[in-house]
Order: sequence, then C-alpha cells, then structure tokens
Amino acid sequence: MARRGAPVDVVGVGRTFALAGDEVTALSGFDMHVPAGGFIALIGPSGCGKSTALRLVAGLDTPDEGTIDMDGSSPDEMRRGQRIGVAFQDPSLLPWRTVTTNIRLALELVGRRHDTKAVDELVELVGLQGFEKARPSQLSGGMRQRVAIARSLVTKPDLLLLDEPFGALDALTRQQLNDELQRIWTARGTTTILVTHSIPEAVYVADEVLVMSPRPGSVVARHTIGFERPRTRELLLTDRFHAEVEAVSASLHRSEGQVVQLDTDPS
Amino acid sequence: MSATAETAATAPARPAGGSRLDRVPPRVLSSAVGIAVLLLWELLARTVYAGSYRLSPPTAVVVEFFEFRGLYLRNLWHSTKTAAWGFLWGNLAAMALAVASTLVPWLRRSIGAVVLTVFCLPFIAIAPILRLITGPGNATPIALSALAVVFTTYVAALLGFDLAPGSALDVVRSYGRGRLTAFRSVRVRASVPALFAGLQIAAPAAFLGAVVGEFTGAHRGLGILTVRALGALQTDRIWVIAVMATIVATGGYLAIGALGRYLCPWSPALDVGAVPVPHAEPGLLNRLAGLLAPIAVVFVFWYAFLWVFGIEPFFAKTPVDVWAELFSVSEAPETRSIIFGALGTTLWTTSLGYVVGLVGALASALVFILVPWLERALMPIAVALRSIPIIVTTPVIILFVGRGLLTTTAIVAVMSFFPTLVNCYTAMTRTPEGILDVLRSYDATSTANVRNAYLPTSVPALLASARIAVPTSLLGATVAEWLATGDGIGAVMVTAFTRNDFKILWVSVAVLTIVAVIGYWLVAAFELRTLERMAPGISR
Repeated sequence: MARRGAPVDVVGVGRTFALAGDEVTALSGFDMHVPAGGFIALIGPSGCGKSTALRLVAGLDTPDEGTIDMDGSSPDEMRRGQRIGVAFQDPSLLPWRTVTTNIRLALELVGRRHDTKAVDELVELVGLQGFEKARPSQLSGGMRQRVAIARSLVTKPDLLLLDEPFGALDALTRQQLNDELQRIWTARGTTTILVTHSIPEAVYVADEVLVMSPRPGSVVARHTIGFERPRTRELLLTDRFHAEVEAVSASLHRSEGQVVQLDTDPS
Repeated sequence: MSATAETAATAPARPAGGSRLDRVPPRVLSSAVGIAVLLLWELLARTVYAGSYRLSPPTAVVVEFFEFRGLYLRNLWHSTKTAAWGFLWGNLAAMALAVASTLVPWLRRSIGAVVLTVFCLPFIAIAPILRLITGPGNATPIALSALAVVFTTYVAALLGFDLAPGSALDVVRSYGRGRLTAFRSVRVRASVPALFAGLQIAAPAAFLGAVVGEFTGAHRGLGILTVRALGALQTDRIWVIAVMATIVATGGYLAIGALGRYLCPWSPALDVGAVPVPHAEPGLLNRLAGLLAPIAVVFVFWYAFLWVFGIEPFFAKTPVDVWAELFSVSEAPETRSIIFGALGTTLWTTSLGYVVGLVGALASALVFILVPWLERALMPIAVALRSIPIIVTTPVIILFVGRGLLTTTAIVAVMSFFPTLVNCYTAMTRTPEGILDVLRSYDATSTANVRNAYLPTSVPALLASARIAVPTSLLGATVAEWLATGDGIGAVMVTAFTRNDFKILWVSVAVLTIVAVIGYWLVAAFELRTLERMAPGISR
C-alpha cells in the first residue's frame, strides 16, 4: 500500500483564548504523534479542545506554546502548500454550487480546476452518482456530508482533518460513511486525524485512539487498536470490539475525574 | 454583536492585513476620523470654498445656530411635533393593515399593492393635492409624514407576524382554537423584534415626510425655512438645518432601537431592508388575477379618495381624466411630449445615480471586509448616515454640487449608497465561518474569498436594497428637481404647481407612481429569479 501522507508531531502545545476579559485555556501540554499514513481518532468530553487541536494542526489558528511539525513543515506552511484537506461537522458547502462544482471548489483553490477526472472519481467513491447537478438544499444531511468529504479528498491532500464530520447524522448513515471513509483511507493512505464524540466510531476506524481530559485539554490515554483491516460490520458484534470500547470508555471516565486531582496535585 | 461565548472562543479574528491599526479600539478610531473630517471641512470651507456659498465651516454653523437659536428651535420643535403625529398615525394605520392582512389572507395581496403604491407616490407633488383637502394648516405635512412610514412598518409588522414559529401555531390549532387565538397568543408577541426594526426606520422616515410636506408651502417648520434659505442663498442657515435634522432623525432612530433591545433582549438585530419578495401564485389565471385585483383596488381607492373628500372637479382628476389628458383630448400630444420628455431626463439622471450608488456600496462593502481597520474607522459613520433622511440634506447637496443635472444624480447616488452599503456589509459578515475555514485551509487568495464567499452571500441583501431603492431614488430625484435643478418631471410638477395646473400635476403623479411600481416589480422579479437560480429552495 502506498503510504504518501505526512507524519504529524505535536509537542507541548497550549492555546489560551481571551474571552470578555477572562482567559480560557483550551489546550495545555497537548502531545500527539501521527505516523505517515496513520489514522488517529481524538476523543474527549465536550469543550475539551478537540476542535481547537484540529484547527491548530490545520493552520487555521496558531498555538501560544509548543510546536507542531509535519515532515519538517509548520501547519501554516502545509496550509500555504495546499497539502491539507478539511471536513467539519457543518458540511459548509456553497449553497449556490452543485455537488460537482462544490467538490471542484477545492481544485479551483489549488489551481487545478481542469482535473475533472478527480471530481468524477470522488463522486463515485462517495456514492453520489446521479446527483452531480443537485444543489446542497436538494440533498439529505448524509449526502451533504459526503460532498464535504469528497471535497476534502479531491486535492489528494497529505493530511486529512475531520472534525466530527458525521456528528449530525443518524446511526445507520453514520456507519455507512465510516465504512466508506475506511475504504477511501485504505486506498489512499492519507494521514488522517478524526475528532469524534462516538467511542465505537473511533475504535472502528482508527489505528490509535487518543483520549483527552476536560479543559484545559491534553492527552491522558492512548489506545492502540490492533484490529486487522479491512474492518467490517461483523467486527462491531465481537467481544474484542466491545472490550476495546469499554477500555476507551473507562479512560474517558477516568479523564473526567482527573480534573479534581489536577487541582490538588499539579503534577 | 451577539456572538456566543462558544463561537467567540473558537473563531479567530478575520484574516487581517496585520496592520497595527487593527489594535486601535473602534471608538477611538472613528472619533479620530470624525475629528479629522471636521478639521478638513473647516479648512476647505475657509480656503478653497471661501465665499462660494457652497460649504459652511463647522464653526460658522455653530455660531449661526446660537445667534438665531430661538428661530431654529421653534421651527425644529414644530417639525418634530409634525413628524411625531405622522409617526403615530402612519404606524397605527400600517399595523392595522398588517393585522388585516394576517387575519384575512385573501386581502393580503390587495393591501400590499395599496401600501406599495403609497410608497411609490412622489411625495413632493402630492403635497399640493393634499393641501386642497386640508387647507393651509399643518395637516398636510402630518399626512405626508404618516404616508412615509406606512410601507416599511407594514412590511416589518407582516414579517414579524409571519415569523411566529409554526410549531407554536400548531399547538394552538391542536387545541381546536382558530386564527384569532393564534394571532393573539403567538403572533403578536413574536412580531415585536421585527416590528421594532420597522419602527426604527420609520422614525427618520416620518421626519422626512414632515419636511417634504413643509417644502411646498407651510407657514412654519424646517421645510419652509429651508426653501427660504435656498432662495436667499443663506448657506450657513441651510447647514444648520441639515445638522439639526440629522441629529433629531438619528436620535429617533437610536432611541427606538434602544427601546426595542430593552423590550426583547433575546432577539438578534433584524434587518427589515432584506424583506423577502412575495411569491407569485402558480397558474396563468391566478397570476392574472393576482396582477389585476391589486390594480383594481388602487383605482377604487383613488375614486374613494376624491369622493370622500368631495374635491371640486377643477382640482380633482379621476383615472379617466388622467387617461384623457394623456391620450384623447386635443392637447394630449403636447402633454405627452412634455411629460414623457421630462420623465426621460429624470429616469436617465436617476438610474445613473442609482447604479453608481449600488455599485459603489457593494465595492465599499468588499473593501471594508478585506481591510478591517478601514471598516472600524468608517462603518460607524456609514451606519449613522444610513439613519438620516437624506432628502432633508438635499439642500446641502444642492449648494455643494450646484444646480445642474449632476445634482439629481449625486443625491440619488448618496441615497442608495448608505443603506446598500450597510445591508451588504452586514450580509458579508454573516458568511458562515465554516465556509471561510474551508477557503482558509486551502490558503485561498482574497479574490477567491470574494468570489466564492463574500460576493455571493451579499447578493440577497444587494437585491433587496436595490428593490427598496427604486421608489426612494425617484423620490430623491423629484425633490431635487423640484427644489433646484429645473430639469425633469420634478420641474414640470413645480411649474404646474405654481400655475395651479392640476391636470399636469395629476398626470405627473400618476405616471411617476406607475413608473416606480413597475421599477420595483422588475427588480423584485429579477431578485426572485436570481435567488432561485443561485440556491433553489433556500431563497425564502
């Protein structure tokens, strides 16, 4: 399998926001290592800074402390080099564009607007044949998410950043898209970071699940997921899958308790 | 700004040019710009424009005010009182019409047509006609002031009633209660934010109506003071009046805005400028009925107006009389050539100003979005100027630009510029952060941001502003022509007025109103088509 993604090294990153005279520390001492072509899932309680971490890696925001290195480049250099693809919880499609032209937007922005083959391939990959000319308002929520995923992939990025892209979907559609995401990732080997609220989703798709503490967010547990690929839905019914979900879940609950300890014993 | 803590914490600042000016507090920046403008104004007035009767230095304006403060305050009080009465009656009428339109849906289209027609009337020319009924007193300015607020308040109240949550209306219906209960218990309360947004715009509009009413022969008030000062070339006096009118109109705008925020703190600021266009019913027959019924209603109102007030036939002209004047009597060809020739001039100068105003506003909004420190320095001024009834400052523009054709163009451009700028800029700032993030993640250029995000998101606001600007531009143009330029249909009307030629006056009013209504609907049709094409299903 061709591994063409970029490795990501995040060391000691902190980010504090000024908020109406107050200061909110979203991230503190955040470490993360993603090997080239790896698939990492970030999981944690609401407001723990998962999205902030992703935005920092995407170069959409800059850390107050710590370093982020990708194959010798900073996030901003990666962004300027147009080597990143992003998809957020809100599909953020342009309502006046069709499925095809929304996907093509990314190509236009990187100056390769004539790569129609790449667009056609992705329309097929995410299963939207027959809807090429539809506008976002004519699509279901799941279909819009697929357009956003296709847009994030069409430039063949070295790094794919997904911020709860399936958050607003029903369980069935969500599972379907997870299968597709896994298929695409296997075919392309793009380094991928997925932020999610769902433990089963994280365990199902990722090589490694990072559990974050409540604000200020940092990584408190790492779970390497050893299931062979391709993973299928039968895996969801197995005891080892449930055991892994339980283990991550336990880490998550421990992480929520840790805040109290941090106050008394700042180690 | 009503950004929640969550979005404020996660959303970084807009892509700034990294200018050091970005860190200056907005209040300081706009005050500095304000002071700079005043100094430059003083300097220009004392040097380049000294003795030219065009520009009064700010210091002279202040001195003039204090010297004749009794005169100014007396007339200001008079006009404000007139505007307050007009505000009261106009808004009561508008709200009653909105209630009727909501409770009796089949009336909505006809009421809407009448209200739009009133909005499209050339106010300056109907003052003499109203004066026939009311006599020389203060009733005409009050009536005009009331007419000036009907449209915006009606549209705002209707929008408010329609904004009532459908689920809440369903709850009322599920208990077996009807439209009236739903109206009392849900719609009235839901309409408050939109209603206040409308009332806010109505405050300067009422002032405008009062002053325009006074332009054509009142005994007291700022309007007649202005006309006399224009005749005597009293530059300082005209500037004092403009400044006072600005302060009072803006004060009303701000006070009602504050009251609205106090009464419904939960609601975000609503923009009534972006009122949705009514949809045409499907089917040719429906469409034809939808078109003809309102026209019939307008004619019924016309006849009813003449009949109720029992105006003498010498003054009163029916639709049939107007038609005859234009097409069947022996002087008809001559009348046609006078009216349509002048109309051509008016339309040419007006559309030039209209286009310049709209395009300039869109371009300025884009500059503001790309250069944040410029926006912070100038936007507060633009917002303040939007709330001014520009017509009240027409005499100032007349003095400054002169009395040529360009004056009309300049006034129309200024009138359409400020509301369009504020509406377009506001729409651009509401571009979803997610879309901007996607663009940023590919390091999109400013051009790409404008093309893919800012420009398309401002299109609905631009088109809505363009639609509302059609009648207001024609109003501005006719006022300028009436007061100053001696060209166009405004000049035809003022000549007819001074000669008591009510035939020409009625014909002009009818023709101008029809032109404004048609212009409004052309823009509305274009708006509907564009929005449907851009993003089907979400345009409304």
